[in-house]
Amino acid sequence: MHIVEINHLTKTYGRSRGIEDLNLRIPEGNIFGFIGPNGAGKSTTIRILLNLIFPTSGSASIFGLDVVRDSKKIRSRTGYVPSDANLYGRMKVLEFLKLMAAFYSAENYDHRIRYLLDLFDLDPDRKIPELSMGNKKKVSIIQAMIHRPELLILDEPTSGLDPLIQSRFFELLYEENRQGTTIFFSSHTLSEVQAFCKTVAIVRDGTIVNVEEIASLRKKQLKKVRILFPVDKTIEDFDLGGIGPVESGTGKNLIFFYSGDINVLIGKMAGQEIEDLSIEEPSLEEIFLHYYK
Amino acid sequence: MNRILFQLELRRNARSLILWSVVIGLLVFFTMSFFRTVLQYQQQISGMIQLVPAAVIKMRGFANINDIFSIMGFYAANNLIYMMLLGSIYAIILSSNILLKEEYGKTAEYLMSRPITRSKIFISKLLLVCLNIVILNILVTLIGFIAIHVYKKGTFEIHPFLVISLYTLLLNLLFGALGFLISVMMKRARPVTSFCVGLVLVLYFLYSISRMSGVDGTFGYLSPFKWVNVDLLSPTYGVEMWRTAAFIGTITLLILLSGLIYRRKDILT
Repeated sequence: MHIVEINHLTKTYGRSRGIEDLNLRIPEGNIFGFIGPNGAGKSTTIRILLNLIFPTSGSASIFGLDVVRDSKKIRSRTGYVPSDANLYGRMKVLEFLKLMAAFYSAENYDHRIRYLLDLFDLDPDRKIPELSMGNKKKVSIIQAMIHRPELLILDEPTSGLDPLIQSRFFELLYEENRQGTTIFFSSHTLSEVQAFCKTVAIVRDGTIVNVEEIASLRKKQLKKVRILFPVDKTIEDFDLGGIGPVESGTGKNLIFFYSGDINVLIGKMAGQEIEDLSIEEPSLEEIFLHYYK
Repeated sequence: MNRILFQLELRRNARSLILWSVVIGLLVFFTMSFFRTVLQYQQQISGMIQLVPAAVIKMRGFANINDIFSIMGFYAANNLIYMMLLGSIYAIILSSNILLKEEYGKTAEYLMSRPITRSKIFISKLLLVCLNIVILNILVTLIGFIAIHVYKKGTFEIHPFLVISLYTLLLNLLFGALGFLISVMMKRARPVTSFCVGLVLVLYFLYSISRMSGVDGTFGYLSPFKWVNVDLLSPTYGVEMWRTAAFIGTITLLILLSGLIYRRKDILT
């Protein structure tokens, strides 16, 4: 069963585009990455799912319920971490979390709140305006998880978190996922999504460019290679398979994208005199520029 | 209505309600304390008033020149500035921000990811605004009532006092409803306080001009201030059907329209 189903969804803001004819299915129990550059339409999609904004055309459903008509029912089973953590001021952390929890049901969430506060190493008695950005983000994450939602929608949840807390956060997400929570994870950091998600949808200019399993994405992993020679060379000299787009193909400095076997590349270079060599992960922008044209 | 949201707003707005009530209450009380002085210098003031164009007197809120020497005439003029004008400014600031501040403060993303319908959010905040306006009116009216008793000479009739207090409340509620409509019509969220205060002042100014003698004041009815009868000393003064209907009708219309727009509004950041 699909937890989220988006069909031909379009949202325009006046004349400017938000998303256009976007289609997406998120299987139950998945950890689903949603990745794309800023302004690609990630937040627009999420805001439609939460009924903060209304679709211009097309439809979307969560748990088989329409996001416009049954929004209240959907939200009682969903948790959402917005990209900016702007919490209600003039309140203590614990007060804010209890307030957020009170909207769900008469159930007592005190234990759950305490557990999450401990996990994130957060002082419940601190006043919200005094919190750092990272700590606000922690509060924002906790408020989305108190009621054990069946679907977690995370819009760039790791920004502002230090590496230790990030890894605790991912452990918590894995634990929730094992217990059945589907996770929809929006990000613009490819490495994060690669490390954490099972499936990834790549969004660009308001539409989904590709949906791939992370495992298959890894196989065609693209590297950016820079080689500096003492004398002029051309890239064709090396007879390499798996060369992607070439930024600089002749001269002392060769820069190109490579998706072939790394051992082959090293083998071909072994006999050469090289002044400098670097092999690095391409940035997401570069992948979009060169790979998903 | 959602009890949790209502209580949250009650707490968030308590401080400003207290502040406005105290300030307006004190202004009313202190201004009323000048009534004795006015009576004391009645002769001189009468002389002075002869020199002031009648139009200006009327603009200041007195129906007739000599009303200034009656406690109720004096109170009506005060009430016009303090409760009708300042109270309406309070009402419109409160109502125009109560939905919008969630949007420009970006807390809407938290509130609206809870299982609560837009209608319930709207109704809870609407009721809170009404409650605050009613509390402000009760407190200040009570202070006005006490001030009248302290400073009056001779008799005082309660009936016109209650009538003007009722219409003042309706006027404040109308501006509250107008604030809601303005805020839901904002596409991109940003504070609209100065625009709203400006609007109240413009409508007040329109009304003031329409009251000047020698002017055909019909255009003044564009301003809801004109819908309140401030001629407290008129023997026929009382509740009038058309005034009440105009207020209640307009308030209902503004609220219904605001609610409908809010239900389909895009919450942008």
